[in-house]
Amino acid sequence: MSAPEVVFDDVSKFYGEVLGVNRVALRIPAGITSLVGPNGSGKTTLMNLMAGLIHPDRGSIDMRGLSPRDPENLMRILGYATQYDAAPRGVTGFDFVSTGLLLAGFSRLESERRAALALERVRMSEAGPRKVASYSKGMRQRIRLAQAIAHDPEVLVLDEPLNGLDPLVRAETIALFREFAALGRHVILSSHVLQEVDIISDQVILIANGMIIAEGEIRSVREEIHEHPSQFLIRCRDASRIASLLFEQDHITQIQIQDDRLGLLVMTRSRREFSRALTRISLAGHTVESVSAADENMGALYEYLIGGDR
Amino acid sequence: MITAVRMNQVWTIARLQLTRVFFSKRSFWVYLLALFPSVIFFGHGLEIKIRRDRWASRATPAAVLEAIRIGDSEQEVLRGAGMPINDSQEVGRRRRGRNRSNEEREPDRRYMMYFDGQNRWHLRFEEGILQSKMHRPLNDFEEDRSVFAGVFQYFYLRLAIFFGCLGIFMNLFRGEMLDKTLHFWFLVPARREVLLAGKYLAGLIASTLIFGVGAALCFGIMLWPQDPVQSAAFWQTQGASHAFWYAAAAAMACVGYGSVFLAAGLLLRNPIIPAVAILFWESINGVLPAALQKLSVLYYVQSLCPVPAPMDSNAPLLIKLLASPAEPPSPALAVLGLVGVTVLVLWAAARAVRSLEINYGID
Repeated sequence: MSAPEVVFDDVSKFYGEVLGVNRVALRIPAGITSLVGPNGSGKTTLMNLMAGLIHPDRGSIDMRGLSPRDPENLMRILGYATQYDAAPRGVTGFDFVSTGLLLAGFSRLESERRAALALERVRMSEAGPRKVASYSKGMRQRIRLAQAIAHDPEVLVLDEPLNGLDPLVRAETIALFREFAALGRHVILSSHVLQEVDIISDQVILIANGMIIAEGEIRSVREEIHEHPSQFLIRCRDASRIASLLFEQDHITQIQIQDDRLGLLVMTRSRREFSRALTRISLAGHTVESVSAADENMGALYEYLIGGDR
Repeated sequence: MITAVRMNQVWTIARLQLTRVFFSKRSFWVYLLALFPSVIFFGHGLEIKIRRDRWASRATPAAVLEAIRIGDSEQEVLRGAGMPINDSQEVGRRRRGRNRSNEEREPDRRYMMYFDGQNRWHLRFEEGILQSKMHRPLNDFEEDRSVFAGVFQYFYLRLAIFFGCLGIFMNLFRGEMLDKTLHFWFLVPARREVLLAGKYLAGLIASTLIFGVGAALCFGIMLWPQDPVQSAAFWQTQGASHAFWYAAAAAMACVGYGSVFLAAGLLLRNPIIPAVAILFWESINGVLPAALQKLSVLYYVQSLCPVPAPMDSNAPLLIKLLASPAEPPSPALAVLGLVGVTVLVLWAAARAVRSLEINYGID
């Protein structure tokens, strides 16, 4: 039996004449997946489509075997922390979480137990009895997260979940995502903080103008980009000599020697050729202490594929 | 098993929604609409009570007033019946005669009013001689019941419940869309139809309670100043049945209008459009062909009212047609028909809610 996936099959969504997403075909495996793209690129549309808050004009979506048009079953395995800031009027944080559980069919006692647990996991136990209307932005973010995780879903969809969180809570929240992903669940989130995406994502989906630009692990996405030379950072004792040896290779386009003369930033059109050349240099007796990819990160991918507008 | 879970969800949704319906700021004017007739009848009842109390000490025995004859002089009447509770005089005016040379004088007139504990006696004198004598009860039970029937049908059913349901039921979905909280309900593991049923139930409970209590209160206040003997006799004969059918008519109006406005709230953004369209449709119901009349809420609920609404015999034919159903069904058929219309409308609403999308940006 194949591992459960989230599948978009040729999905398009239009808001009147405005494009939401166009012909999206995706297979998202379990783990942490980040949706990255500029404002208005279609990230929230994709998430709303997954949760059935909007419906595709074309194509179909499969959420680990369930249709978004079947909320009765889907919402038992899906938790969605939306970007919408409002909560029903007059409701306390605790009620906000426990109400969803009551409607999910849990008994009052079990709903209250789970709500308390979820609030504790997002460090909101003390604020639970207060009305949501009195919460700060970060607290609202956390209460939405608590509601999304309270019923222990298999798919967590989170729209900008780290916005407004202080560093400590942010780190705890990322740990929570990892915990979920480690259990073979889906954690699908959108973020515009690319450094965080680097740290937390197992795979990324880059989206712009309603279309998927790239998807997969960051490294494999980077390998697919041939227009931009790959960048490597080499730490070595004899930077000048190694630079001159590398420059003899056709695939090397640029080399920068670092100020301390113990490092090189090398740009190559062929990662494979670069690897071979470096092996030859090492075998010739030159000491290479470390080699790391300098542009296998979201910042670089974003820059290459989408441009500077985040 | 699944049905039990869904029923439980319907009730949970309704319970959560009820608080918001009852205590929402938007519901405030619904209470005003529901209580307005009670205020009017309370004022009327209070006026009767105050008059009765004030006049009771100066009441003249009915037998004495009965004995007064046309042609009696003012002095004879005053001697026999004592001072009236109200006495006014008009001095006759002079006016030109037909041939302009003569001046004619209108007679001096005097009006006296006596009270016998139950009735007001109006005596009209001209030039000191009694010309007419008539009496009418301080409070006419039959008239009050007829007025209540008119208020209930013309104001309560056609306006108060109509606009009350508009406010309550259209807000169940549209209000949440405006507050940007509808997604909260869409993210719970419940079928959209279950959500619709829960919200409809909440609206129905709230509107039925508000308008049922409003109608019952108004009915009670209408009876409050009546003669206790008459009231007791009424309760022993028709009272309970009338109270039941008025409450049933109010509840059934909520059932019907509730479903219509719930569906309208799902299909349309602007509440004014469905309000005007449905009000127009309901108003012309009396002149529509029989088949179309059956697609109206008013057609059924009017038939449940125990007392026909009063209609001035001089009212234009069109008004008469608009105000009464041409062929009222029996109460049982009316309830069944209304339930049928409601089920049809809720089915359409269920189809609409299934495809409803969260898109706060365009609201």
